[in-house]
Amino acid sequence: MTSAGDGHESPHDRHSNGDPSPGSGRAGTELSETGLSETEPDPRFTLANERTFLAWSRTALALVAAGLGIVQLLPPFPGVPLGRHLVGIPLIILGAVIAVTAYVDMTRNQRALRRRLPLPRSLLPRMLAATIGGVAATAAVVVLVSATR
Amino acid sequence: MPPEDQEPIVIDPDNRTRLAWTRTALAFAAIGGAMLKLSLVAGLVVLLLSLPIWATARHRRGADPVAFSPPHLRMVTGTVVIVALAALAVALFGHSPDSLGQLLRGR
Repeated sequence: MTSAGDGHESPHDRHSNGDPSPGSGRAGTELSETGLSETEPDPRFTLANERTFLAWSRTALALVAAGLGIVQLLPPFPGVPLGRHLVGIPLIILGAVIAVTAYVDMTRNQRALRRRLPLPRSLLPRMLAATIGGVAATAAVVVLVSATR
Repeated sequence: MPPEDQEPIVIDPDNRTRLAWTRTALAFAAIGGAMLKLSLVAGLVVLLLSLPIWATARHRRGADPVAFSPPHLRMVTGTVVIVALAALAVALFGHSPDSLGQLLRGR
């Protein structure tokens, strides 16, 4: 998965086709600690993996900025003193969690590429969708409660 | 300019990756600048942390694109986590008109 700005064919698509692309296997085959053979993947796959990680890191940073902005810059909700914190703080925490998960995903993907295995499924999109959905629902409740008071 | 031994088919992905590093450094600098208004120390720390990321973007110029560099990537992850912790501290104890600390202390 790459960011919209990086929109290119995913490594998984080409990798699963067994496309003997230029640059593959440049570093030769080695045995990993687990005894599985590892080959340095096509550099384009490695670079795409790196860009995906950077895109997730920027997403994490945007979530942190959004959470901080909600807590510090929005006017308080009348009648709901903790309203801004209920909405903003989960976004900040999600940003930190996404940053760490993106690093773990990137290393798992790189290992799978080296071993010519299918890429593992990422939890990040579901995690992001669930938390943003939860925060949106919380924000709606806070706004409604604030409006009725 | 890419090194002469770099395969032409890898040059574009390498350039895109370098631009991704640059966008990431700019994102860090932007949030650092914004945080300066909320907390001088936290903003300066984030601004300073954007410098090594910018340096990584510059350092990639001419580097072997195959070289996978976990330390640089760990640095990005660490920086986002530090920014998140700083943001959490500002959100909880900052100088907002009704910060969480003030609310919990009953103003």
